[in-house]
Amino acid sequence: MKSKWWIISALLTFTLLASGCSGNDGTSGDGGSDGETEDGKTEVTLAGWSSSPEEEKLLQQQLDDFEEEHPDITVKHEVIADQYMDVLKTRLVGGEGPDVFYLDAVEAPALIETGVLEPLNSYVEDDFDAEDFEENLIDPFKDEEDEVYGFPKGYSTLGLFYNKEMLDEAGVEVPTNWEELEEAAKELTTEDTVGLGVSPEMARNQFIGESGSGDMVTEGEANFGSQEVIDALQPLVDLRNEDEAAAAPSEMGSESTGEMLGQGRAAMVMEGNWNVPYLNETFPDMEYGVAEVPTFDDTEATMAYTVSYVMNQASEQKEASWELISYLTGKEGMKTWTESGLELPARQSVAEELGYEEDEVRGPLVEGAEYATAWSDGPNLPTIYNNFDNEFLSAFLGEKSLEDALETGEEVANDEISD
Amino acid sequence: MERAEAGSYSKANSKKKRNYTRLLRNIIQGYGFMLPTILVLLVFILGPVLYAVFLSFFDVTLLGSTVLDYTGVDNYLRIMDDSRAKRALLNTALYVGIVVPVQTFLALFLASTLNAGLKGEKIFRIIYFLPTLTSSAVLTLIFMWMYNQNGLINNVLDKLNMPTYNWIGDPNIALYSIMIMNIWATAPLFMVIYLAALQGVPKNLYEAAELDGANVLQRFWHITVPQLRPITSFVVIMGLIGTFQLFDQSYIFSGGSGGPSNSTLTVVLLIYQYAFKSLGTMGYATAIAFMLALIILIASILQRVLSKEEQFN
Amino acid sequence: MERKRSWAKKLLYVVLITYALITLVPFVWALSSSFKTFAEISSGVMSFIPREFTFENYKQIFIEEELFFRWLSNSVAIAGGGTALNLLFNSMAGYALARISFPGKRVWFMLILAVIMIPVQVTMIPNYLILKELGWLNSYQGMIVPAMINATFIFMMRQFFINFPKELEEAASLDGLGRFGMFLKVVLPLAKPALAAQAIFVFMGFWNDFMRPLIIMTDADMYTLTVGLNSFKGQYVTYWNYIMAASMVFTLPVLVIYMFFNKFFMKGLSFTADK
Repeated sequence: MKSKWWIISALLTFTLLASGCSGNDGTSGDGGSDGETEDGKTEVTLAGWSSSPEEEKLLQQQLDDFEEEHPDITVKHEVIADQYMDVLKTRLVGGEGPDVFYLDAVEAPALIETGVLEPLNSYVEDDFDAEDFEENLIDPFKDEEDEVYGFPKGYSTLGLFYNKEMLDEAGVEVPTNWEELEEAAKELTTEDTVGLGVSPEMARNQFIGESGSGDMVTEGEANFGSQEVIDALQPLVDLRNEDEAAAAPSEMGSESTGEMLGQGRAAMVMEGNWNVPYLNETFPDMEYGVAEVPTFDDTEATMAYTVSYVMNQASEQKEASWELISYLTGKEGMKTWTESGLELPARQSVAEELGYEEDEVRGPLVEGAEYATAWSDGPNLPTIYNNFDNEFLSAFLGEKSLEDALETGEEVANDEISD
Repeated sequence: MERAEAGSYSKANSKKKRNYTRLLRNIIQGYGFMLPTILVLLVFILGPVLYAVFLSFFDVTLLGSTVLDYTGVDNYLRIMDDSRAKRALLNTALYVGIVVPVQTFLALFLASTLNAGLKGEKIFRIIYFLPTLTSSAVLTLIFMWMYNQNGLINNVLDKLNMPTYNWIGDPNIALYSIMIMNIWATAPLFMVIYLAALQGVPKNLYEAAELDGANVLQRFWHITVPQLRPITSFVVIMGLIGTFQLFDQSYIFSGGSGGPSNSTLTVVLLIYQYAFKSLGTMGYATAIAFMLALIILIASILQRVLSKEEQFN
Repeated sequence: MERKRSWAKKLLYVVLITYALITLVPFVWALSSSFKTFAEISSGVMSFIPREFTFENYKQIFIEEELFFRWLSNSVAIAGGGTALNLLFNSMAGYALARISFPGKRVWFMLILAVIMIPVQVTMIPNYLILKELGWLNSYQGMIVPAMINATFIFMMRQFFINFPKELEEAASLDGLGRFGMFLKVVLPLAKPALAAQAIFVFMGFWNDFMRPLIIMTDADMYTLTVGLNSFKGQYVTYWNYIMAASMVFTLPVLVIYMFFNKFFMKGLSFTADK
């Protein structure tokens, strides 16, 4: 009797396998890049992540517009939910990568070095107007010979987000330089609120570390243990440990500094424009303002984050892929993409058209594009920032002296790189 | 089976021939039973492992134009002066040293209490099963939500006038937070195995011991524990392998960095970082993986030797 | 004697209830969070009963994730098929390793033990390459076949069969059953407790698998629930109410399946009566 169960389940499984097999062959074949769909259209696969439902909707809108303009091309959109780079690298090694995909500037130099990306210079025509892009945003996607491998879909910069009510109540002016920021932070700190919420990561603080004469990365190696960098970062650490006017999100039970601001746990934070829709939607009652990041000795600085569309060198649909990239990063596509302010337009012409410079909230963020430090610094940056983040957090939390932490981190990072 | 067929052979058949057919039959049966396992093992496990062994002697870039630089045992030597590898090994050892004994004991304890034949035992069983039925990713999320600085745990501690902690962010605490969570999540899993094995312990052993006047603890110690020895051996080895390979939780807790201050950096997280984060260190990653496999193997053998010795006492 | 017993019983109950609470609290907390509004979640007020009971979080999931039921059936098909094959093949291998003496047995056993110790991160890329060669990307068999045996549970089954009474097999062989028939008709039914435990773990293993489906499945139609819900999680990083609701949605089908097979498991785990 009992053995029947086995036979049945085994049979079931095999039928299942068989149906899985045939069902699959009917729909799409395997892998992504083999090209033509049944109705003779060219299929281009596009892979990316999705950080908000709004982003998803915008991209879909862009793709619909694109398909309408190019009736012979269909776009298959894949969302890679997590561990984006790992999945992508594995698929690229297997020769099954998507035709077009998102690439963060921080990962770009390393990937360009491997040769998996298609150089795009030969595709660019005059009416695409490649000169229109902000230069420091496109630089991370160029190799030494000035060959371009990706065009930015948009960018984000950091600005000083502050809680208007709290500043008014404390009678504090919006700080414009670092000294004022420190004073304001101290003034604004109460029992439940810190003056400044800080993300203790290199991605957010590289411009502070380099505000003196130091460089956190030199010639592809970590240099953040140098005295200049330590001196530049020390005030930030002191603000938490001596003045008790700053804190990291995890100390206040938040996931990000943006959330700290929204929940009233920080009066000021340095955050990016992705926070604008987030704050409006999630904390509609909180009134906030945005200003440019305070200056260091009259020098303006902030961070800029770019994500580009790049093409797989092994793609079999290069022409169609370029059509897609040039649409998504072209004037029309970028306007659709950046109209809601989720990302800022990497093209000067689009920025002007949308009038963001005049915008109360986005103006200060757009200003930053000119002087921002782009978050990309050679192929070893992932190793370097991983070690920095690891050590800087303990210094920020007062577990170690900043000097000790950063010197250790630098040494370990460079050991890893040199081998 | 042997006996039944042996009868049909005439006495004239030599013993040698009988042994030979028996051997042949055993080979056919043994490999017949093993066939699916062997196929999958060769294609999907040993094949990739051999490939990885091969890679561990090279500097490898798999992306784009594949670059292989033969470096001999350099990748293995490099482990010796990699301070992060040392830290990862220390963290992992500490984690294994605490989690394995605690979860094994807790699992055995829970299984024997559940097996004591009390009323309502079924309800407890269902409740205790819950963590086993929930994915580790979901459990990690739930715990991170509770470990939140203003979360449930700190609130309760605060109400009880006990110190609160930054469970996720404090380098001195983070690894212990993961330990607590994992013991909570894994003990019921092994409890289920113990529970299954407890069914196989003959009831009359307990009855006899009770007649001899042995108390609960004595019965537990002199009957349950020795009877379950093969299963304990399995549970400990599985515990060793599972804890040595801790990855998911520290990945989620630290966002992949192993921070703060490398306090949640485990060996597998390090392997992962070398394999995927930085390009061109795939060979080194596989070298660390084989060192880890070797360590686990030694630990498992030690465990077997130790538990065998116990048996002789 | 009797008094001592009732004391021990009470103590046992206290222990059982305490641990049951420790087990339940995280789930109850997650469940209650999943019915709270975002405002309440972020207010920092602790209460197991939501101030304002809402189904919005769940609605959001089902609206956002229109492919939800497709993913659910993928997960069920892969986990169900994979579990059935695992139970059969792992038991067969475990039995052979425990009871049949054939040349090379020790080598295979050591190999099986050794491969458990290699972390999956290392074999991920080569495995992917093999699946690609077989044309099994984006398919159920790509998920099931490489995982249709499990070294851990072969090892577990071996440990179980090693203690098996020999007499039973000898009696069965007198009935004229072949070895495989005997295995199916005599050995497996007696291994039910072990099979029940194994079924849970193997099913959970497939159900929770994240990295493999993420790499293998590129068609949104072929995603499993883990992959689908993870993308949801990525979009709502700080919305703990949504994340908790998604976690509950993800856990529920397993609970339902478990409840459905509850009898089978319970029988498997406590067949004291037949002994």
